[in-house]
Parts: sequence; C-alpha cells; structure tokens
Amino acid sequence: MLRESMHSNGQEVDLSSVTQGSGAQAEVPQAAALAEFAEAVVLRDAGRAAAVRARLRDALGWEGLVDAAATVAAFHGFVRLADAIGIPYTTAVRGGDLPELREQAGINAFYRVQAGD
Amino acid sequence: MAAMAFTGTDLQLRGDLAEAHDKAWSAIAAPGTWLDGARRVAVAAEVRLARECAHCAVIKAALSPNAVRGVHDTLGALSTAEAELVHRVVADPGRLSERWAQSVLAQGLAEGEYVEIVGIVAMVMMMDAFCRALGVPERQLPAPRDGAPTRYTPPGAKKQAAWLPIVEPEDAVEADGPMYPSPKAGYIYRALSSVPQSLRDYWALASCHYLPSEAIYQFDRSVRAISRPQTEVIAARVSGLHQCVY
Repeated sequence: MLRESMHSNGQEVDLSSVTQGSGAQAEVPQAAALAEFAEAVVLRDAGRAAAVRARLRDALGWEGLVDAAATVAAFHGFVRLADAIGIPYTTAVRGGDLPELREQAGINAFYRVQAGD
Repeated sequence: MAAMAFTGTDLQLRGDLAEAHDKAWSAIAAPGTWLDGARRVAVAAEVRLARECAHCAVIKAALSPNAVRGVHDTLGALSTAEAELVHRVVADPGRLSERWAQSVLAQGLAEGEYVEIVGIVAMVMMMDAFCRALGVPERQLPAPRDGAPTRYTPPGAKKQAAWLPIVEPEDAVEADGPMYPSPKAGYIYRALSSVPQSLRDYWALASCHYLPSEAIYQFDRSVRAISRPQTEVIAARVSGLHQCVY
C-alpha cells in the first residue's frame, strides 16, 4: 500500500526503513515522526507518545493528528484479524504483494513466514 | 465533516469517528451471534487485562511461543480456551499458527465463537489504541445487554483460504445480511465473514479509522487530513512492529 501510494505520486520508497525501524522516508513529510508515534503507541510508551503527539499537532494540525492516531489504532485491529484468522499473506494487496517486496520489507524474516504457516 | 464530542473526553473529533466508537461499544454490549452480552463484555475486559499479563510477557520474550509453559493472569469469567485466544491475539499476534488455532478449537471452542471473540479483541484493541494515541483515558466498559445470541451460520462458509471458515463474496446469501462493499473485497475484509454481524460491527469501526472501502485502492488521493503516503507509513510501521505478514 505504501509502495503504491508513493508510486502514484511519482516517488519511490525504501520499505525496509519503514517496516524495520527509522521510518525516515525523506519524501514523505513527517515520516520519521509518524513512525515514532506509531512505535510509541504500540509499545505503550506514554511519555514518548505525548512528546511526538505535540510535534505532530504542530506539523499536521489537530485534524491531522487525529487521523494519524486513527490510523495507528486501525492497524492494531487489522493485524490481529489477519493473524488470528490465518489470512494467507500471499493475498495481501489483492495478490500484488510481490516476493521481492516482502524480501525488501523484511517480511520474509517474520515468524509466520519462517514457520511456513 | 462536522466535529463531535468524543464521549468521556473534552475532545472534538470528526463526527463519524466519534460516533463509530459509541456504536462499537454499544455493539459489544449487545448479544452477538454466538456469545451473549455478558460474555462479549467479559472478552473486552480480558483484552485489557491481557496487556498486563505476566505469562504473556514471558511468551512474547521467548524465542518460540510454543516453548513456554504457564497460565495467564485472567479475570476468571472466560473458559481456558477463550482466555488463551484473547491473550495470545492481544499480546503476540504475529506468532500465531494454524496448529495453535486448532489447539484452541480442540479445547471445546466452536469456530463461530473463535471468530466472534477475535472480532471483539480487534475492536477493543483499536479503540483503546486510539485513546492511548490521543492521550485520553480508555472508555469504561459498557454494561452488557440482555438477550440470546442468534447462532446464525452462513450456509456459504467454508474452510479453504484461511485457518477458519470464510464466506467468499460469491457464496454470500441474502440471509447473511450486507457484508461486502464489492465482490473484490480483499481477504482481510473477509476474515470475519463466517460471523456476518461481527464483520459488520468491525468494519463500521475500522473504516472510520483507516479508510472507507471505496478509497482503499485509490492511491493517488486521500480522504483524510494526512496524505495517503503518510497513512501508509504509519500502517507499515505498526504492522512491522507486530510482525504482521499481511
């Protein structure tokens, strides 16, 4: 989805920088702060979340912060749905999730792929 | 879109999002397809406890989740199988396996109960994460409503593509009620389809947080106050932290 949204804007993306760590996607405004926000909420680090929330509110406005929070929240649900029901990962992005993209994003190192499930 | 008060806080949010939370909590309190209101609210309570469970922390830290023995810290309102399902889906979803899912079912949980519980877990995790992201307290759990589960089984549900049965769009019947916005709905959309009411409840909430279904594959525009690439940076980071392969 990230790759497709970048392509539609004529941009490229290093998926590994987002899935595995820094989130420092130079071509996406506030990418590093958005990735840090996501991390702080997933890891339930209230202090870090508060700090990055203030930065995002300044940069994106209140509505932007709310939509960033809503997206972080949405994926707390999606990942559990997919992983608990055992949706085949080869169907992601309507089957457009290519093997080389999974490798680039580091997904092939994830437990479920390694376990062959 | 008109702003609306977010119940229990002094925040003003876009109206569909604030309303979706109210409706989702109301749906959780109501009788479902396989669980009554009291059991559904008990699942929601267990979700919150699971986030602090010491046994779950040990499993999460272990090299293999299957190598750990012990018992979950539970409220005692759910069966052992139900508690295992809730705790593992909350705490370590990226390392679930089909063998594990079958072991939970073998403890006496019906497939419909499993799917309905997963739907509730996903909704509560979503709503609580939203509150945490905005730095406001989690909503108080609702009082369960009386009534009996419908025990409806879609005739087209079959176990084929996933670990649990799903209803492919072409197998949906009128009695299932509305399920799919399009015959091409992705597999993530189909996940809860063997319990159609759970699918409807979940997506009524999820679509307001992420994107409406008609906008998901329109990559060149955003219907939110952040751009589509910004949305997907967040999505990729949350999914990566959960080791979600989907």
